Amino acid sequence: MNVRGGGITPAVHITLPAGGWRPPALPGFVTDPRPEAPGPLDHLGRIGRAAELAGLDGVLVPFDPAGQDTFVVAAGLLRRSRHVRVAAGFHAGIATPVYAAKLSASLQRFSGDRLDWRLTVDLDTRTARSQGDFLEGPDRYARAEEFLTVAKGVWHEGEFTFEGRFYQVLGGGLPFPLSGRVFPRVHLSGTSPEAVALSARHADVHVFSPDDDIESLIDRLPGVAYGLRLPVLAREDDGEARTAAGRIGFSGLTGSYEAVADAIRGYARRGVSEFFVETAPHVEETYRLGEHLLPLLAKETHHVG
Amino acid sequence: MSVDIYWRIAMEGDQRSLRRKGASRGGFAPEVPGALAPGGRDDYTHADYMAQVARASEAAGFVGGLLPSFPHTDDPWAAAATLAGETSTYRFMVAFQPGFLHPVKAAHMSATLQRATGGRVVYNIISGGGGPQQLWWGDRVDHDDRYARTSEFLDVLKGVWRGDFTHKGRFYQVEDAGLPESLTGLPFPQVYFSGSSPAAIAAAGRHADYYLSWLEPFEALAEKFGQVRAHSVTPPKFAVRIDVLARETEEEAWEEIRRGWTSAARGTGAGDSVGWRRSQSFVAGAGDDHRDLEVQPNVWGGFDRLRAGPAFGLVGDYRQVAARLNELIALGVDAFILAGVPHLEEALRVGEHVLPLLTKGTSK
Repeated sequence: MNVRGGGITPAVHITLPAGGWRPPALPGFVTDPRPEAPGPLDHLGRIGRAAELAGLDGVLVPFDPAGQDTFVVAAGLLRRSRHVRVAAGFHAGIATPVYAAKLSASLQRFSGDRLDWRLTVDLDTRTARSQGDFLEGPDRYARAEEFLTVAKGVWHEGEFTFEGRFYQVLGGGLPFPLSGRVFPRVHLSGTSPEAVALSARHADVHVFSPDDDIESLIDRLPGVAYGLRLPVLAREDDGEARTAAGRIGFSGLTGSYEAVADAIRGYARRGVSEFFVETAPHVEETYRLGEHLLPLLAKETHHVG
Repeated sequence: MSVDIYWRIAMEGDQRSLRRKGASRGGFAPEVPGALAPGGRDDYTHADYMAQVARASEAAGFVGGLLPSFPHTDDPWAAAATLAGETSTYRFMVAFQPGFLHPVKAAHMSATLQRATGGRVVYNIISGGGGPQQLWWGDRVDHDDRYARTSEFLDVLKGVWRGDFTHKGRFYQVEDAGLPESLTGLPFPQVYFSGSSPAAIAAAGRHADYYLSWLEPFEALAEKFGQVRAHSVTPPKFAVRIDVLARETEEEAWEEIRRGWTSAARGTGAGDSVGWRRSQSFVAGAGDDHRDLEVQPNVWGGFDRLRAGPAFGLVGDYRQVAARLNELIALGVDAFILAGVPHLEEALRVGEHVLPLLTKGTSK
């Protein structure tokens, strides 16, 4: 969220796709010097650069076992940008919290503290087991709680000792110069009592889905920032947007730039400040957001201010 | 068969020379006049310095670089992913301890990096050497068990890489694990395996493409390689990690050491590392003069006093250092990880003056 001119401008993040991208082959007689397969950072890096240049606030690299590794992608995006925040999605089974903290501290050093954590707690059983993670039910929240406690502990304390159900650390604590960086902003989501309790303790941003009962969750989560996952298709006018949506079978917030800006302002009035936009094709839609939607949101701010 | 020569990247920050300890590059020490890339006022960070070392190494003729991992260093996976787009042939030898990272995650990260770099990821698997550090990392598994875990870790990692993998072992359990389609079919990274204990040597026999040792007196090194061969069905290749201080003349090289020696403090330690105890045994009872640690011509065991890291390295003029490397090649060494302080300038120097003097099949 940005504070400009005394008001609050909603922060807009683009959500990266998980899948790879492969351009169609050219006819054989056309000279084609490209390597056989583009690397993951070619396509995803292009979207990250688009977000950077179009003035968005962030890029979300969602955890998806069918996609690229999120920390590798996040590191590449951070290296290719100066302003956008980059949120890496992951679950607590990937590494020890000490290691996750250390890897992240280096990325904070390299990026000027622009890395965020999108921690996924619930995984369907099959996915979890394919990840080597056999923990189920409320235990997953208990582990996430310990994971974040340990990661923050070694991050902020010189001598950190912890004895828990899932993790043990003796005399941990990131040394200078890994210490003293800003801890990644923690994004969490979920509506269960366990999820809300975890967010109350550890979230910087609690991210809603469009069909969540936002009011009641906000009441139970004072003191954190509120985010919203938001599929968006915006065009010059409502008719054009509906036609485009019909062509690709899009469901989500559909309408003119003004209408979409109105809807976002509506959420903002209810307290939501971070919008994780889902839209495709990514580069084109990111520029569209930057050139058409963000100015409307900023204008509103100046009126408020 | 060709010899692969790597040049280390200083993940712990870099210092101006061996004359005075203390990192002035990369923000690892309080900022003083002359500090470079601290990430403060000019926004340039250690990643920018490391990128320059990587590009210089690439230009100087090295195949890639070792990115080491200790509690006080930047993280090698973070660094490799950060620098992946900035070199074209440079291989990233990522040091990591299996205990900290789940093998499914390691497979996913590696494959993504392999795809991003066109197959330029190399592993340096570290299992032991932690001691108290191991608990700092939150890892309770003890020394010998760490090698058992490393073996299982690599089994799982390779299984996930192949796909359709189910496993229930002592340390790991996975069900129907594999990589997404866009990441399949990539070459599995070469494995450089370190460790001097019997447990390490046994595990190396199973998993190492290269058995990696610190430099030791050549006879001891040959004996160690012999043990690894004896414990392997298919013996791995051999690699040695060596600091070099090479100058135009021998006098100049030793004068550099003498100056560092005069300002150095004594006494460090490296947990329960067997390699560390071995290296100290070769200089036990040595006198106070820096040349007392020259255990055989140009092989000097005092580097650990001048910068953090292993004890042994080569000191001499360009021809002498090249001659010792040639002897090691004759001894059966297939790969070197060289290093020098500061890593940027010394990469260029060694590439220009030492590497061209290497020969195969001669020992002098």
